[in-house]
Amino acid sequence: MWESVFYKEWLKIRWFIVGYTLLGILCIGYLFLTLKHNFAFTGGKNVWNTMLFQGHQFYSLFKYVPLAGGLVIAITQYLPETINKRLKLTFHLPLAENNGLLLMQAFGAGSLLIAFLIFGGLFTGFSLIYFPIEIVADAIITILPWLLAGFAAYFMAALVVLEPNRVFRFLYSLVGGCFLTIYFASAGTAAYGPANSGLFVLTVLLSIAVVFSAYRFRKGEM
Amino acid sequence: MEKISRYIMIFIAVITLAIFIPKLYWTVFEKPIRKPIMHYSCISKQFMINRGEKEWTDAKGNQCSRDEYERMLPMMFTKQLLASGTLPDSINGTALDMRAVSREKSFFRLKVNEVDAPAPRLYPLFESRSGRAQLELPEDFFRITWRVDFIDAATNQILEEKSQMFSAALFHNGFSFPAKLISGLPTQRKSCDEGYLIVDSKEQLFHLKMIKGKPLVKKVDIPDGLNFRYIGCVDFKNKDFYAYLVSGKNEIYILTQDDYKLIKWPVDRYDPATCDLKIYGDLFNYTVIIEAEDHIKANALSPDYQLVDTFTESWKTKEQLQEGKIFASIFPAQLSMKSDNSKFVRFYFTPSKGTNWLLFNMLLLVLHFAWLYVRKAKLKNHWVDMGIVAVSGIYGVIAIHLFQNKFFD
Repeated sequence: MWESVFYKEWLKIRWFIVGYTLLGILCIGYLFLTLKHNFAFTGGKNVWNTMLFQGHQFYSLFKYVPLAGGLVIAITQYLPETINKRLKLTFHLPLAENNGLLLMQAFGAGSLLIAFLIFGGLFTGFSLIYFPIEIVADAIITILPWLLAGFAAYFMAALVVLEPNRVFRFLYSLVGGCFLTIYFASAGTAAYGPANSGLFVLTVLLSIAVVFSAYRFRKGEM
Repeated sequence: MEKISRYIMIFIAVITLAIFIPKLYWTVFEKPIRKPIMHYSCISKQFMINRGEKEWTDAKGNQCSRDEYERMLPMMFTKQLLASGTLPDSINGTALDMRAVSREKSFFRLKVNEVDAPAPRLYPLFESRSGRAQLELPEDFFRITWRVDFIDAATNQILEEKSQMFSAALFHNGFSFPAKLISGLPTQRKSCDEGYLIVDSKEQLFHLKMIKGKPLVKKVDIPDGLNFRYIGCVDFKNKDFYAYLVSGKNEIYILTQDDYKLIKWPVDRYDPATCDLKIYGDLFNYTVIIEAEDHIKANALSPDYQLVDTFTESWKTKEQLQEGKIFASIFPAQLSMKSDNSKFVRFYFTPSKGTNWLLFNMLLLVLHFAWLYVRKAKLKNHWVDMGIVAVSGIYGVIAIHLFQNKFFD
């Protein structure tokens, strides 16, 4: 049964996840082309110096890319389910009530994870060409909350889209929007080091948030 | 699972509300606390205090005009007094030589959030005697792990020969790898290069420079048991010392130039985790200002670093003012991702002082109970919600009504 659920989800999001991943790869390609240009024009020592002592982050363009991915995938995956209350069909599958929904969630989150792993792999691999491990590690610490924000945005957006009551949909959007800002506090390179483990736990906890909206949906909240 | 997902969302909402509602409260109600600005007068031999845009006093509280205030601080307002023609020819029998005034003038500031901050792990080692008028940024950067590595920035490759030469120089001087603390001035905007002060894994202090491409390593003799938590290198015109050093016991030391003497300054009540430090130096005195959230302590030192005067003043913090007391009565705690005392992002949890918030929580609990009673809800399904209200107060009340449990009744 899980193969069928995954196939249904794949049909819904395939162009969006493929398009998003390609755009993300283009973004990373652009970052490193710019970096290569800066190395050629200002010299490696000046690039390193501005990164180490002036807080320059050549990857700042990437900041909201994971967030956009989470929102796009959640909307393309769950908005069709709200049209004519199609989600009801999921609850009539020969699965425990929440399992169908959690399989959908697992597919969406897994797709995002694959996209983010590709981004992370490319970013780390190219970075190691230009920088020693100390600079790359600090960059990863800086980027990690942005990637976690992508997952958090996906989980929160799923909760909001499936919420049947408009007033609560607005209120949950408000809570979700405010909550997501904690991943984007203005801070220097590697400043998120002590917070990343806590953010990871919160993001994992959020992964079953959608069950709450689905429960309200099933019980006919309007 | 529905219940678990609801409690998770309540938890997320409580965290969000505990960050944003206090932030909103303080944005609306916080009043600025004007902290006094203090300098030691080499003329009147007492601290002069500026308490605002139009209030100047001496340490005894006597009011004075702005002109009088500036005349008492000729080393601070030298340009102004020169412009108005009121700069004295001599002070305390010492003729004022403008070159000497300029040479002895110095300023050092260590903000509390600079101590608890991410530190770079790579540094440029400048050529100290390049023969050039201006310092040039080197092509490579060094790190100290189990040895010294110099890495070429253009190729990202380790410069093996240079790395081995510097590693050997440190090793032969008794350096114990890796480094615990590296401090220098990694900038070209300085009068000359004095390299780096490095604390090794055994808390020993070393000075490392590069002269004509060769390492110069000097081990500094420090008393047993002394260790340093912060070193702030300086580039003052008088070249009296290399750095201000803060020990593990929060004492302030200087390391004199060339003869490497550690001199402890007679200054106490400084904690780099909670206090800003400002040190003004001039021809006649060093003024050490220690500024905490609720008080300021000013110390005046003679040129030979003896304490000549101190002045302390305290004020109410925002938590002690009326708006702070109201805050502590309504909100059980405040959560923030950032702090004035650190550059790290963390979950900064600050519980409210006192127990008034507990009374407010109980009031909210009673109101919630009444609301359940009116709705004829089954109380056994609401014990956890009531526990959430009792602990998290106003945040919990909002959260449980955002993520309602009416379907679980």
